[in-house]
This record gives sequence, C-alpha cells and structure tokens, in this order.
Amino acid sequence: MPPVGPRSGDAIFANVERVNAELFTLTYGAIVRQLLTDLEEVEEVNKQLDQMGYNIGIRLIDEFLAKSNVSRCVDFKETAEVIAKIGFKMFLGVTASVTNWDADGTCCSIVLEDNPLVDFVELPDTCQGLYYCNILSGVVRGALEMVSMKTEISWIRDMLRGDDAFELQVKLLKQVPEEYPYKDDE
Amino acid sequence: MAAIYSLYIINKSGGLIFYKDYGSSGRMDTNDSLRVASLWHSMHAISQQLSPISGCFGIELLQADTFDLHCFQSLTGYISLLFFFLSKKVTRMIQGTKFFVVCEPGTQHMEGLLKHIYELYTDYVLKNPFYEMEMPIRCELFDINLTQAIQKDRVALLAR
Amino acid sequence: MIGVGKIKQYSNVLDKPLSKGKQEVSLSAFAFLFSELVQYNQTQVDNIAELERRLEDAGYAVGARVLELLCHRDKGNRRETRLLGILSFVHSTVWKVLFGKVADSLEKGTEHEDEYMISEKELLVNRFISIPKDMGTFNCGAFVAGIVRGVLDGAGFPAVVTAHFVPVEGQQRPRTTILIKFAEEVLRREARLG
Repeated sequence: MPPVGPRSGDAIFANVERVNAELFTLTYGAIVRQLLTDLEEVEEVNKQLDQMGYNIGIRLIDEFLAKSNVSRCVDFKETAEVIAKIGFKMFLGVTASVTNWDADGTCCSIVLEDNPLVDFVELPDTCQGLYYCNILSGVVRGALEMVSMKTEISWIRDMLRGDDAFELQVKLLKQVPEEYPYKDDE
Repeated sequence: MAAIYSLYIINKSGGLIFYKDYGSSGRMDTNDSLRVASLWHSMHAISQQLSPISGCFGIELLQADTFDLHCFQSLTGYISLLFFFLSKKVTRMIQGTKFFVVCEPGTQHMEGLLKHIYELYTDYVLKNPFYEMEMPIRCELFDINLTQAIQKDRVALLAR
Repeated sequence: MIGVGKIKQYSNVLDKPLSKGKQEVSLSAFAFLFSELVQYNQTQVDNIAELERRLEDAGYAVGARVLELLCHRDKGNRRETRLLGILSFVHSTVWKVLFGKVADSLEKGTEHEDEYMISEKELLVNRFISIPKDMGTFNCGAFVAGIVRGVLDGAGFPAVVTAHFVPVEGQQRPRTTILIKFAEEVLRREARLG
C-alpha cells in the first residue's frame, strides 16, 4: 500500500458516525452532577474529571491514530497542531487553534472556538472553583502519554469563569526518546 | 482451504490478550499460543535492533514456505527497557499493541485486514467499559465483528 | 487568531439563544464518555443492582432536562397531558433528538394494563458494549431507562422504568426493551379523563 497522508479533521468528521451534541452535553452534565454529589469538594471533582479524561485519553488515542492516518509527529509543535486541527475536530466537531508558543517550543496554548460541553451551563456560586471542562485536559494528557509525551495541562481561560475563550496550556515535561539506543554503561 | 490460519493480539508488555484459530488444524493449545506470542514479541523487538538505520518499527512480514505472517503494531505504547546483555546495551523502545495474522503464503490485502481489525479493537474493545486495559480480550461484540471481517475477507478472496 | 472571534460572550446563560440542536459530535466521543460514566459508577457500587440504579439516576438527570428543552423548543412550551401522547413523544420525538432515529417499537404490555414497552434492536449506548458473563442480565440501557423516567416524571407521569435484554429469534444479539410501569395515580387520572 502506498503511504497515505494524514486526513483532515473535517474529512474525518464528515465520515464518522455522529450523534446529537445535546445527548453528549447532557450526559457530561449528569457525570459532573454525580461527582459533585459523590465527592462534595469541588477540588476533588476537578481531580476526578481530570482522571476520567486521562482514562479516556489512553483509549481514544488508538482510534485517533487508526482513523487519522497520522504517523509519528516529528516534534511537539507538530503534535500540538495535530491535536488542535484534527483531534478536536474529529471527536467533538469543533476547531481549535494553537498559539502562545514559548521560546523553546515546549509550551503552547490550545484555544477552543466552540465547546459542546458547556451548552446550557452556568457555574453556581457554590461551584466557582470548578473546572467544568477538566475532562478535556485529562484526555489530552492521557492521549499524549501514550505516544510518550509527558505533559502538564492547565486552564488559562475558561468562559464559564467569565473569560472570552477556552484556553488550555499544554506544557511538555519530557519526551522520552524512542528511537535512539543509548548506552548506559559508558 | 482457509486463507487465514490464525490471529494474535499481543499487549504492550508482550502478553497474549487474544488468540483465534481459523483452521490451522488445531496445532496449538493455549500454552503453545502464549509461548509463541511472547517469542514473537521478543523477535519483533530484536528486529528493531537489527535494523542498520534507526527508526525501525519491527517486522511487518515474515515469509515461510507454508505460511506468511503479517504484523501490525500500534503507534501507542509504553517505553520499555530492553537489556541486551551481550552488547551490554540498554535500549529504550516503544512497544505498542501488536496484531498479527498467520495466513496462506501469498495471501493479499492482509495490511488492510489488520488495519480493519485494529479499528474493530478501538470500537469493540477500547470503548467497552468492562474491558480493562492490557488484559485478555473477552468481548462478544469484538468476536462477532471479527468473524464477519474475516469471512468477508474470505469471500473477497473467493471472488477473485 | 482565526475564527476565535466567533465566540460570543453572554453574561448570563439565559441570555444565550437556545441552540437549534443541530450540532453534532462523533459517536466515538459519546461512546468513550459513556464508557467512562459506567466505569466510574462501577467504582462506587458493591453490586449490579446499585450500578443499575446509579446509571438510571444519571439518565434521569438527562431526561428531566430533555423534556424541558424539547417542550420549549419543539412544542411551543406545551407538553403532552395524555398517556398515549407522552409515550409517543418519548418513542418518537425524544428518541429522534437523542438517538437520531425513532425507536423501533412501542407496545402495550399484554399481561398488565399499566405496562408499556419501547424496544430497540440495538440501543445506541450499547453499540460497543459487551456485558461480561459474570454480570448476568445487567444492561447499560439502565441509563436510557433513567432518561425515559426523567421525561415521564417531569411531565407528570411517574413510572418505574427498567431496561432488559430480550432474545430475538434468528438473531445473534438480543434487543433491549425499556419496560415502563406507570404509577397507579397515572392510570386513575387517565380513566377519569376518559
């Protein structure tokens, strides 16, 4: 078979089976509600959402690779672009952009133009500390870990907290070298 | 005559998590298949070491006089440390999930079939809440869809 | 930044125009989320009955909101007040919006006057799910049963709703039947309305 290049996020999204975003949004809302009831502390809910996202990320990455034809990314920069342009589009039907690179190319922001998780949502006074979309940061972290990139991810902007966009900061902690044999005994 | 003899799925640490025999006349029992799988895992890793240039992902096709073995490895994986005592080298390499089919020599379109099996795995194994990562695959829907895929493949072969 | 200007901010979620409900996400995104919902709830329970109850609770929260949303958007702030009307609303409107299709069938129970069944050859939430043998008759459709109960309850038709696998002749896979057993008061009211 001739090598096939990566497919665009739009092309993949157009070809996969889709469901009404409201089912997704309301189901996610039900999960957050359950966590708030079970765990009580908002901080614990943030942690659990991140963990659930991580669990999804380590599974979802295989589907991403299978359907997108993306092969190994040469560097973190390319990886970030692929997540934003193909990943978010292919699963959530939304486009994201990559911005705010730091000088050494190990930290950037993914900015979401639209976010199906937050339709109908407003944070009540009791949940001001909640990172409602924390599952997303977990997904990205989990998925990247499975392609040997350890990252730290945090929310810079959150529209539910009055910001003008959703901005995820992705910081590469270490990329484990894969291909180069290294000698330990010398 | 069956074109495809058997299918193996090996997890990231070399354990056999799925094995199906499609008519290799029952030569293997469970222990045999487990042993063969772990040997293949190591051979696959060694082949990466044999490569004269870096960036090798391992054996894709192995041919013998009575069968072909096609292997597909996912890009996801843990970094494992392999110790080569003779060369005293410690090597880190990616060990992904490996899928391999054993088939009649010269059977065509096995790459496509393996890719399809990988997709079935992402659907019916990874999206199943009762599947624990890296554990043996016991998912009825995966079995059903796999059987269909292999049958379709046979039909395609007969039609040629 | 390209396209970022698209986001419009509203100080209050109520000022935001209600979406038309045409937006979509991939089935995979939903399937992974649902799988995680099931996995999380498994960590919170000791037995299968509890797991069913918790999935049903999660579904209930969805159903209650779907009722509000659809009555407002699709029915001009009106809702069904009769038993057959609300059942057909669930079977057709709710199903179409949530699962992209009308449910395969809506039937009246043959043995009990107060029972109705909505059946689906393959429930969307079960698409990728194989139930392990040791979990017996457990069905993740409990979540959908919860949605149905949420809709019915919100509309004033309290009922007990459960999900069951039903074997189908000649088919490898069983279908799922959502069994609705209405509360006595509902049937009394229906009788009064004639």
